[in-house]
Parts: sequence; structure tokens; C-alpha cells
Amino acid sequence: MSDNEIKIVSFLCNWCSYGAADLAGVSRMEYPADIRVIRIPCTGRMSPKFVLSAFREGADAVWVSG
Amino acid sequence: MDTCIQKIREIAGDLLEKGEVERVIGFAEGSIPMATSPVAISTKEDAQKLCFSSTCGLNLANYASKEKGKKIAVVAKGCDSRNLVTHIVENQIDRDNLYIIGVPCPGMVDKFKIAAEMGGEITGFEEAGDTLIVSTVDDKKELNKQDYLRHNCSLCTHKNPVLFDVLVGEEVEEQQLDNAYPDVDAIEALTADGRWKHFEELTQNCIRCYACRNACPLCYCPTCFVDESGPQWVGKGQDKTDVDTFHFLRAFHCAGRCTDCGACVEACPMGINVRDFTRKLNKDAQDMFGWEAGLTIDKRPPLDAYSPDDPNDFIK
Amino acid sequence: MGNLLEHMGIEKDRVHFSWISSAEATKFVDVVKEISDKVKALGPNKKFVKDYS
Repeated sequence: MSDNEIKIVSFLCNWCSYGAADLAGVSRMEYPADIRVIRIPCTGRMSPKFVLSAFREGADAVWVSG
Repeated sequence: MDTCIQKIREIAGDLLEKGEVERVIGFAEGSIPMATSPVAISTKEDAQKLCFSSTCGLNLANYASKEKGKKIAVVAKGCDSRNLVTHIVENQIDRDNLYIIGVPCPGMVDKFKIAAEMGGEITGFEEAGDTLIVSTVDDKKELNKQDYLRHNCSLCTHKNPVLFDVLVGEEVEEQQLDNAYPDVDAIEALTADGRWKHFEELTQNCIRCYACRNACPLCYCPTCFVDESGPQWVGKGQDKTDVDTFHFLRAFHCAGRCTDCGACVEACPMGINVRDFTRKLNKDAQDMFGWEAGLTIDKRPPLDAYSPDDPNDFIK
Repeated sequence: MGNLLEHMGIEKDRVHFSWISSAEATKFVDVVKEISDKVKALGPNKKFVKDYS
């Protein structure tokens, strides 16, 4: 992996941000390709374990969005 | 101290004889000096085993919630009583099943510090007021207790039990602190890399025995995340990231609940100051929510309840 | 969560929280850009990565 390539693990709520990401997609908007989306049923499903797990597996950043 | 022990024994014996409680959880002398251990007694005769000294550093609230449905009595210092409150608030114990024998706490001593001072194996330990008389095979020293207090005890502002059914001694004076978190401030002053290095060095001796978890009254999950295998969140080996994950995650679980009782540090065989992790969260709980854990059974903890005033400036 | 990670030495800009409604595609794009820029400025994360080799 080259040094300027980054991975942002994104935990998106199914009903909010995941919808927004979907809308951005169908509207053909452009955004950086650095995010890796993980859909969660609700941000209430989020746990500190997920954040630490992401970092352990080599994520450069974690983004939680409801 | 002696009158206080007498009173604990008297009350415990009385409760057991009358059948008001099934068990009394307290401290007993260990097999070597300074190693008091928790005991659960169920007969009046056994009440003579109970003791209390400056070496009773473990937290007895930890054992109270393991006897569900039974009526029990617990000998509780200031921090123990706060953890009992936490247990009641979190529905781990029924207040009606609990009889709290409150002990105003004079502070506990740091065994590592005394061991380092004495050098050899300690063969005797006595205390008279504020003087500790410690002896080894070929040495005997009188130490001032205030110099050998555990770090959390020297910063303690809740020495007296917050919730009790009976108090066995005179309430002690609570100290007022200008800054309750000097150690956290010192770490905060470092750079990001400096802080990372500090925690790397802190955990490098960890042998993953989980003594801190077992001694902690907050850690009552039926299956701890370190024991989960599907998915396995954290590896079982000595890998640096696995060790750190364990400590980070355990600290997160204590957010807004930790009473800084010091049982984790007391239990650690490697002398790791586990409190470096939880203290930061205690400070945040204090700064953001004005919250100190376990002071009252009438309020829900901040992470348990929603309030429109909750700080939310971290959200974009 | 962010506070403790920062305390441990993980840079604050590595953990982000946001609140975006499903109708806010533009806000989504803005936030992604912002986060991406901040993380690029920090460079790749070397701390806390498990070495499987």
C-alpha cells in the first residue's frame, strides 16, 4: 500500500448516513474514495470494540455516523 | 482501629445469630503479614476471624453481587460503599437484601512502596495510629503511614461510606483538593507520541492474568469480552496490541462507573498502575457531566440517561 | 471515546463522529471530504496495528 492511500473505516447507520450515502450515489455526486463503509442497523449498535478492532486491522481512521 | 474491629465482629456475630443475614463479607488476616483476604462467614463463631487494617485494599462490593437472592452483610469502606451504590443502581443487588456495615476509612497503604522500602521479605506488620511498624528478618522500621498511602487514597475525597446501615467508628474528616487529577494533567501535558509511549511502557509488563478485571467490582459481565470467541475481539497472547486492547476496552467499560477504589492496582502482581486508564475517564465524567460515580442511589449515571444538556460538540 | 483514545496518544482526527440525515447527501459528501483531508494530513496510522506476520 502506498503511503498516500488511506483507509477510513466508516460505520454508517442504516437509516441515516447510509441513506445519505445512497442518495449521494444515485445523485452521482463525487466524494473521496478513502472510506470503507460498514452498515450498522443503528448507531446504537456501535461499540468501542468495533473502533479498536478497526485500528487493529490497520485502519487509518474511524468514522461513526448516525 | 481495635475498637472498630471489635465492633465489626460484634455486629457481624449479632446479625448472623439473629439470622438477619445469611453471610457476612469482610476481611480476614492472611497467611503472611499485610495480606488480608476477603472472607464470607456464616456462623457467629467465625465472626472472630474478621479484621480491618490499612492493608484491606481490595473492594468487597465485588463479592456482594455474587450472592444473588441471599441476604448478606458487607463490611464497606468509603469506596466499597460507592461501588455497592453502583451495584444497586445497575440492578446487581437488591438494597433490601443488603446490610452495609460502614467503616470510615483512614486510607490504605501501598504494599509495593513498603516492600521497596524494606528490601527483604516482610515478617511483621503492625500499626499504631499513623505509625506503621514493619519488620523483616534482620530489620525493623517505623514508617509514617501518610508517606506510604496508596495514590488513590491520598487523593480520596470520600473516605466515609456514602450509604450504610450502621457505622462502626467516628466519621473521619474529608480532605479538600484543589486539583483531584494531577496525574492525569501530567499525562495530558505530553505530546501524542509521548502519551503513546507512556502507555506502551505502562503495559509492557502486563502478563494478562486478568487479576485487575477479577478484582474490579465493575467487571461482572457473565462473559468478558476477552473470553468471547465468536468473534474473538482480542487475541490471547502477549502481543502488544492485544494487551493494549484489553486495557483500553476495560477502561471504556468503566466510564462513569469507576470509583477509583484502587482494587485493580492492588491486585496487579506486576505493579502496573492500571488506574492511569480509568482516571482519565473519571476526570472526563467530572468535567463533562459533573459526575462522580456511586454517590447516590437516586440518580442514573450520565451514560445511562439522556439529557438535552449532554455535551455534543464532538459531533459534526 | 475520542477523549480517551487521544489521551492514549491516538491523534484526535483519527476518530470522527457525525450526524447526517438520509436526505442530506450534500452534507455527507462534505463530511467525507473533510475527514479525508484531515486524515491525509496525519498520514497512515502506525499505532495499535496488529502485526500478524
